[in-house]
Order: sequence, then structure tokens, then C-alpha cells
Amino acid sequence: MARDPKHDVLFEPIRIGPKTLRNRFYQVPHCNGAGSEKPNAQAWNRAMRAEGGWGASCTEYCSIHPESDDTMRISARLWDEDDVRNLSLMCDKLHEHGALAGVELWYGGAHAPCMESRCVPRAPSQLPSDFEHLTYPKEMDKDDIREVQGFYVAAARRARSAGFDIVYVYGSHSYLPQQFLTPFYNKRTDEYGGSFENRARFWRETIEQVREAVGDDCAIAVRISTDMFMGEIGTQLERDALPFVELVDNLVDLWDVNVSGISEWGEDATPSRFYESGRQLPWQGRVKQVTKKPVVGVGRFTSADVMAEAIRSGKLDIIGACRPSISDPFLPTKISEGRYDDIRECIGCNICVSRWEIGGPPAVCTQNATFMEEYRRGWHPEKFTKAENADNDVLVVGAGPAGMECAMILGKRGMRRVHLLEAEKEMGGIMRWIPLLPGLGEWARVVNYRKIQIDKLKNVELIPSTRADANAVLKYGAEIVVIATGAYWATNGLNGATSEPIPGADASLPHVLTPEQIMVGGKEIPGERVVILDNDGYFMGVSLAEKLATEGKQVTLLTHLGEVAPYMKFTLELPNMLRKLHSLHVNIVTHAMLQSIEPGRAVSYHVFDPEHLTEWDADAVVLITQRRSNEALYRELKDLGTDALRSEGIIGLYRIGDCLAPRMVADCVFDGHRLAREIDSPDPAVPKPFLRDRKVIELLRA
Amino acid sequence: MKIVVCVKHVAVLGDEIRFTTDERDVDEDYYDRTLNEWDACAAEEALRIRERLGGEGEVLVVTVGGPSADVALQRCLAMGADRAVRISFDQTVHDPIAIGHALSEAIVPEQPDLVLVGVQSSDSVQGSTGTALAQFLDLPRVAVVKKVEYDHATRRATCHRELEGGLVDVVEVDTPAVLAIQTGINEPRYPTFRAIKDAERKEISLVSAAGGAVSGYHVRRMFVPPKPEGAEMLDGGPADVARRIAEIVKERLA
Repeated sequence: MARDPKHDVLFEPIRIGPKTLRNRFYQVPHCNGAGSEKPNAQAWNRAMRAEGGWGASCTEYCSIHPESDDTMRISARLWDEDDVRNLSLMCDKLHEHGALAGVELWYGGAHAPCMESRCVPRAPSQLPSDFEHLTYPKEMDKDDIREVQGFYVAAARRARSAGFDIVYVYGSHSYLPQQFLTPFYNKRTDEYGGSFENRARFWRETIEQVREAVGDDCAIAVRISTDMFMGEIGTQLERDALPFVELVDNLVDLWDVNVSGISEWGEDATPSRFYESGRQLPWQGRVKQVTKKPVVGVGRFTSADVMAEAIRSGKLDIIGACRPSISDPFLPTKISEGRYDDIRECIGCNICVSRWEIGGPPAVCTQNATFMEEYRRGWHPEKFTKAENADNDVLVVGAGPAGMECAMILGKRGMRRVHLLEAEKEMGGIMRWIPLLPGLGEWARVVNYRKIQIDKLKNVELIPSTRADANAVLKYGAEIVVIATGAYWATNGLNGATSEPIPGADASLPHVLTPEQIMVGGKEIPGERVVILDNDGYFMGVSLAEKLATEGKQVTLLTHLGEVAPYMKFTLELPNMLRKLHSLHVNIVTHAMLQSIEPGRAVSYHVFDPEHLTEWDADAVVLITQRRSNEALYRELKDLGTDALRSEGIIGLYRIGDCLAPRMVADCVFDGHRLAREIDSPDPAVPKPFLRDRKVIELLRA
Repeated sequence: MKIVVCVKHVAVLGDEIRFTTDERDVDEDYYDRTLNEWDACAAEEALRIRERLGGEGEVLVVTVGGPSADVALQRCLAMGADRAVRISFDQTVHDPIAIGHALSEAIVPEQPDLVLVGVQSSDSVQGSTGTALAQFLDLPRVAVVKKVEYDHATRRATCHRELEGGLVDVVEVDTPAVLAIQTGINEPRYPTFRAIKDAERKEISLVSAAGGAVSGYHVRRMFVPPKPEGAEMLDGGPADVARRIAEIVKERLA
């Protein structure tokens, strides 16, 4: 299919200062866990975006000096010439693919805990960070201001020698330049505080100095938050952001426009649970009205129609993306070729973001299992080698996230035949019903993308409405069998907190329920008063609390943890989730564990004071305690022994996804993908080692 | 007990198509072949009729075409059909009458108790091969069958036909007869790898059609029709839109 002409506007080149962007697709700075210290992972990951058609790709936030050290979170760094060397690899690889390379120069102020460097960060005023608790900055005097501006200039010169085309003076997310602009962080009474002109002075001077240093060779970009949603004390669009754009417009080549501060930056990296694509367009469009320079902005854009409309309507010049480019590095190429239904759309789950928030691990993606595996495992999201054992027939039992991904990749690797056996009428497994939870509709993209791809693969066939026992699998005629039968929520209250079932917990009784019984089984929830026990800590407990409260139940949400759904802090979903539960009058009780359940009654104890009991009137108790693998089929087959399997022609038996161990969907997709990628390795059950970016010391030998 | 099922290897078009240089067909590089959905239901129904009779008898699948037609036969063999016949047919005319005639030549010597065909093929959607076949075989034919009860003792079939508005027409027919099977009558079974591999080892008999059926049908040209002009979008409130629609209707009637 050819590209729709109305999308041609996305492929028009545009000038950014001294540089030309080849099209309107721009990967704005986002973290990936590589920084400057995993230079190969960094370079390969960004280069994949360039290969996939993005006109530019940027580093994550890039520290300009050891005083801005975000450890345990991973930033890039341009502290010295070795960092220059490491990041130059990324620039070279981007240039090979015809893309521009951007670097986001960053000084964190009070938000940088400096846990590695043990420096003291500097900030406009001495206020502890509202994001990184217990971090106090030194209040800057004028010498400090000159010195820190000098750090920016030195880092910009290093950026230029590394080969970067676009140099950011980054303020968004409440980092130093925007701290000066914002009364919340800036309490100064000298010429760097107070009036707009004074609050803007540090950022303006810094942009001037960076431009003076590298502006002839590099485009100068500014990332600005136009509204922190903090009222008078935060950055405000009309009062601060628009005047600032007008003030320095002649110094800037590209405006990268978003909203939010750092403490609730889920207002920028919006989870699909709360915001649709393009939610920042009103703010971006306002900046467009006052600037003469190009504007780039994010909005979790995955639809070419929405992108083209954003440009045609004059709200953006360039489509910025983090998550959509993670989910599909080849999104521009697919739009260009009119392959719209091959686009692997971001689901807005923010698992990628969560890894930065946790600090340290490489970012992962629910949709794209190859993300951050480009270098270390050599995985390409669109290219697949023919398997050496492609003459085998593979039976995949269970079409959930792991099974679908595995079957799809095995198909792309050219296996002779792949049958994806599914007990239900449709593929999807757990992802048939999770998207029915409030706000999670876009998560169904996990199924939709794979269904479309599998339909296109001639060697992969879905066998629906078919439940196989061990004998049926044995006699199926497959050489390779992959069991992906998923997991179930414990029906007896078994949980990781006590490692025992809960007395009285029995989901065969009318007043005790599991998530599947509510979402799939159609089990009625008796009465009005519902107690939900959440020992899981991610989305299931709060989602069911929202659903049941919306349906009119009086919901009490107990958790043994100190906070409800702590993982949703990392996915940036928690603040709005808590707002929603509060508005629905859900009673949240932390540090509470159920001791017993009876019809009409449940008793909890305080986890740090077990004698302290609370009785709850409970017409129904919902158990979100732990999951268990559906492993009976795998066990039965494995217990038959290799000889019995071989006598039926089965040479490989594997299990993946929740069937192996219940995990996040991203990990299940990865698991299915990994097995398919390594189906022709000597022992496919065991992941092949991956390359590690690290220094290896030279051993001194006597 | 012998049931013959006539099947077709329909074309599944990709995103992009090209026509042959004479513009009378789609270039075969631009499509795949698969068993017609209606014929899969017919094959499944044949297997089920046989199962209901205790598994006695034979299910024979027949098709017309070149080697690319084997994909349809193999699928039926994997589902459980016993035997397959492909009628090679070098006539350039592929209309329902010619195909029906070729099928009839192969079916007559088999002396089947029942002949099942699909209501239509998903690619050419003529819906008339079965009718032509019944004519050449000189057998009664029942169209759009959603349920079959076959009594081997009386040699009679009771067929439920699907009519508009949810009506059901119950027809009794003496067999042999040609029954045109509608989708939804059953869920065709999915063959296991073992069944597929076993089917690959079964031989497909080749017979040649004598030809001779003449019809006045020939394809003159295939083409993608030019895109019609886009719809006119009417803006404004309900009253404005209604007024504009009334004007357009008057203009067109004038």
C-alpha cells in the first residue's frame, strides 16, 4: 500500500539553525539506562531509531559536571574527554543513517543526589528537593552562577567535539535553568530572583553563552515546561513560559515544549490510563503562536493522522516522540511505506519510564522486546534470520502475550509451521481482559498488533477454542512444543507476605473472589461492602478498587505494604490513581494484612503490631495476593521423560511467560521473543549470554 | 456410503495487486491460495455425516485446476478426507458452467450418495458452480444449507435452508443430490501437524477433463475502478444540515 498523501507533510525536511532535519520525526531526549558508561548499548539503541527513519535522536539528560550526578538513576555524562569518546560512537552511528544527533545538557540542582560523585549540587535557593528527598543544595552566589554557566559552556564544547548536531540547554522537569525561572525553587532577592526578567536571567545568559561557544556549528535547543500545574508558585504559561520564549527566541533554534515539573512528571510522560495522545498540544500550540523558530513536542503520537493534523493545524512543526519510538523504532519508515497496520503502537503503560525511576536497569518495553537488546543480544526489531531448525513444526500452547509473541517471531524466523493453540475463541490470554479494567483500553494493542502480524504470516495458524491435554500435545506431531498456559490468581489467599494461605480464603465460596472470577467468570459480587486485599502492589488492586467503587460498592483497599500500588509510582500513574480513588471514597489502609475471612466479616492486623486487630464488615473479599503458574500441562509432559517425548517426535519442550513464573506483561513478551530468537541455539531453554558494556582489566601475569 | 466434496483453492489478495498483461486476471505473484471457507464447511459436514453413520464410507474431495490447487485438497485430506482428485483443466475459460462440467465428468464414475459444495467462493463469488454441476449430473440440488440430516436407510436428506429474516425452509430431498453448504453450519476442524504430515503422504489422483462445455462467458477486462469523488461533508447545526440535504435531493431529482 502506498502512503496516504495527507501524510506527506511528515516527510518534508526542515531547518533547525545550521542543521537540516530530513523529516518531521524526532526522538526527543529520553532515558534508556545506557548513559555514557554503556556506550555500545547507547549507540546501538539510538541508531536503531535512525535506521527506522527518525530524523533525529537524542541522548537522555546528559550531566555537564559531577555536581549534577543523578546516581542511582542513569544519565548520560559529558564530564571529560573519555565521555566525549564514548558518546561520539552514538553520533557516528546516527550520522551513518542520515539522522541528527542531539544532546540534552543537564544540571539538576537540588534534584541530583550526587551519590556517586559525593559533590554538593548548587541551586537558586537552599530548599531540599521535592523529588529526591534528603538532597539539599548549596545556594548559589554570583561566583557559583558564573562557574555553573562555565560548566554548560565546557560541556557544550565537548558535545560539539563528540559530533552532536543539536545541543540543549535543558530546563523542563524542574532542572536548574527552570528552577531559576520558577518561584517554587527561586526565592532570591538579587537580580536572579523576583521579577520575570530576573528569574529569566540565568537561563537567558546560559543560552547566550552556549550559543556563543558552539552556535555556529550546532543547533541550540531549549526544552521548556510551559506549565507546572502548581498554581502561582510554579511555572505558568502566560506569565513565564511565553514571555521567556519571546525573550530568547532569537538565541534558540528549536523549542522542545512540554508541561509538568519533576515531582509529577507523569503529566508529561502521560500514562494511557489517564491521558490520550496529543494531550500537550494546547500548550505547544501557544508556543507556536509566539515563536519564529520550529517547535517540537511529544504527545505519545502513534497515529499518522494525528501527527499530520498537529502539523497542519499549526500546533507543532516536528513530531517529538519518546515512547512511540521505543515501541516502534521503525514507525517513520512504516508510515512512509504506507504499512500502517505494521506499526507497533505504544500502549502507554510506562514500564519504560519505570526502569529509570527505579534507577539502574536498562529500559524495557511491553510492545518491543528488542528495546535495549540491539547491542547486547544483537536483536533487530524488524529483521529475523531464518532458524537453522526451520524445518521443524512448532506447537505453541496458549495465545497470551508470551505465546503470541513467540509464535509471531517463530513465524518471522521461517519455521515450517507454527500452530498457536488457544482454549478461548480469540487470542490474547490475560490481555483479553486486563484492557477491560478502567483506563487500560489501549493495552489491548498488545493483542491487536500480534493478531494482525500473525494473520499475515502464512506459516503461523491460530487454532482457537481448543484445549489440549498432555496426550493431545504428545500426538500432535510437533517437533518443538512451547507451553505458554499463563497463570492464575491464588484462590486461597496464598501470598508472599506470610507465605501461607489466609484462613477462610476460598474462592469457591460466594463471598470470596479473584480478579479472573470478576473480569472473566461473571461471578457476582455479593452485597455492598467489599474488602480488597492487595499484596501485589501493581495495577490489579487499585484497578479493581476503581471499578467496584465506580459500580457503587463501598470499597476498602488493604495492603500489607506501606503504600498502595508502589510500582505505579515508577510508572508515574500513582498520583492520579490516588486522586481517583480518593474521589471515589475508596478507603485505603496500609500496613494491614488479613488474618481471617468469614461470611460478612474479615479481620486484619497491623503488620508492625500483630496484636492490633481491625474488624471489617465485608460482604465480599477480593484476593489479590499472588499468582501461580498454570504448569500442570508442562509438568505432565516433562514428567513423561525425554524418551517418551522423542518417541512421538518431540525434540524440544519449553515453557515461557507466566507459565514459567508470573511476571509483568513486558517480561512475558520478552520471554516469548527470547525463546523464538534462540530456538536454534544449543539449549534454547537457557538464554544465551549477552554482551556487557564494561571495562575488563588487563591481568598482570608473572 | 460415498460423499464427494467439491472444493476450490481461492485467491487471497495481498495489500497490493497487479493484473496480468492481458488485463484479464490478477497476476498470481500477488496472491496466495487457500481452501475456500464455504468448502471447508462442506468438507467438515461430509466428515460429520460419515461420523454420524459410524465412520463407514468414503469422503472424496475433488477440485479443478493446476498444481496450485493441491493446497485445498491437502487441507481436506488433513481434516480427514480419504481421497483427493484434481482435474487438470487447460481451458482458459473458468466460468461456473465449464467448471461444473469438468467436475461432473470426474464425479459420475464415483456414483456418490451425496455431493457437497460450498454456496460460493470467496474470490469470484459466482455462487453458481454447484447449480451447474447439479444440472450436468442431473441431480436435485438444495441451496444455502445450514443443517443436514441424512438418513442412509431411506436415502433421504432433510436440509434446513437459511432464508431472509431468520426464516428456515426445511427441505426433504432424495439422494444422490447436490447440497450447497453455507458457512456457520459447523466449525471446520483444525488439523494437527500429524494429520497434515499424513495428508502430505497421501496421493492426489490426477484426471484430465475432456472439456467441451461451452458457455458465452468470458472475462473482458479486470481493473481497479477509479476512486469516486469524496463525500461532501456538511457543516453546521442540524437545521442547516437538513436544509442543505433537502436542497441536494431537489437538485438531483430535477
